[in-house]
Amino acid sequence: MQQMETQGTGGAPQHAKGTMLREYETIFLVRPDLAEDLVDKIVERMRGIVHRDGGKVIKVENWGRKKTAYEVKRNFRAIFVRFLYLGGTGAVAEFERNLRMTDDVMKYQSVKIADEVDASTRAVEADVKLPGDPEMPERAGREPEGFGAADFGGRRDELADETELPPEAE
Amino acid sequence: MSDMKREMAFGDRGGGTGRAGGGGARGGAREERGGGGDLERGGGRGFGRRKVCRYCADKNLKVDYKNAADLKYFITERGKIVPRRISGNCARHQRQVATAIKRGRQVALLPFTVMQHQ
Repeated sequence: MQQMETQGTGGAPQHAKGTMLREYETIFLVRPDLAEDLVDKIVERMRGIVHRDGGKVIKVENWGRKKTAYEVKRNFRAIFVRFLYLGGTGAVAEFERNLRMTDDVMKYQSVKIADEVDASTRAVEADVKLPGDPEMPERAGREPEGFGAADFGGRRDELADETELPPEAE
Repeated sequence: MSDMKREMAFGDRGGGTGRAGGGGARGGAREERGGGGDLERGGGRGFGRRKVCRYCADKNLKVDYKNAADLKYFITERGKIVPRRISGNCARHQRQVATAIKRGRQVALLPFTVMQHQ
């Protein structure tokens, strides 16, 4: 399907009725020490890239500076940004190519949410900005904690080391 | 070698607490555990509380890799995916949970592994 003309990089393109696109979501991790306005700059650039390719940005979520589950490029925190967008063939490739070129983006992942979404009727949602995790003293940020807190009737420890268990000596 | 020993030591401790705590839940179904537990309970299976799939019980609940808080319930302290026989998930939702955990790991919302610091 051919899209109507796109005006520049800033504005969202108008989609003809019945234009079917796929819906994707990309989460990328930005260096935690990056200033907020620079993060916004990256977001706006990526928004422009989606629009330039005839896609449509549905929603941008900035989750703020959060603790990561493991060390990413020597950092234990990262600014998480989630992009929800519609796009045609190659939209994700172009999006990811640009993320790779951006040095401040440490990691990204794209997931297809749905096939066949009508671009003209899919409503654009308001952007969301979350505060992220509270800042902790230097030491506290080193070790990710609190994983596996759920209780499976006390068998959790056993499970974790099942293979290494020696025979029960009574 | 020394590493192996350390693992064994930890496993022993873990196993001990496990048996004391929740051994009764489904002990009978696990022959490889052996030991005195089965004798006391007659070695039968199928008793104890039947676990139901969380996602089947609540239709509104969707498996989402971005929801790390929910998925933490399905990983061990070491970061491994909890098997179905323990978590009680149905086959379909276990598949979804496993995929979600793997996606969550990729974006650093969930750990691949957690160091045991002693």
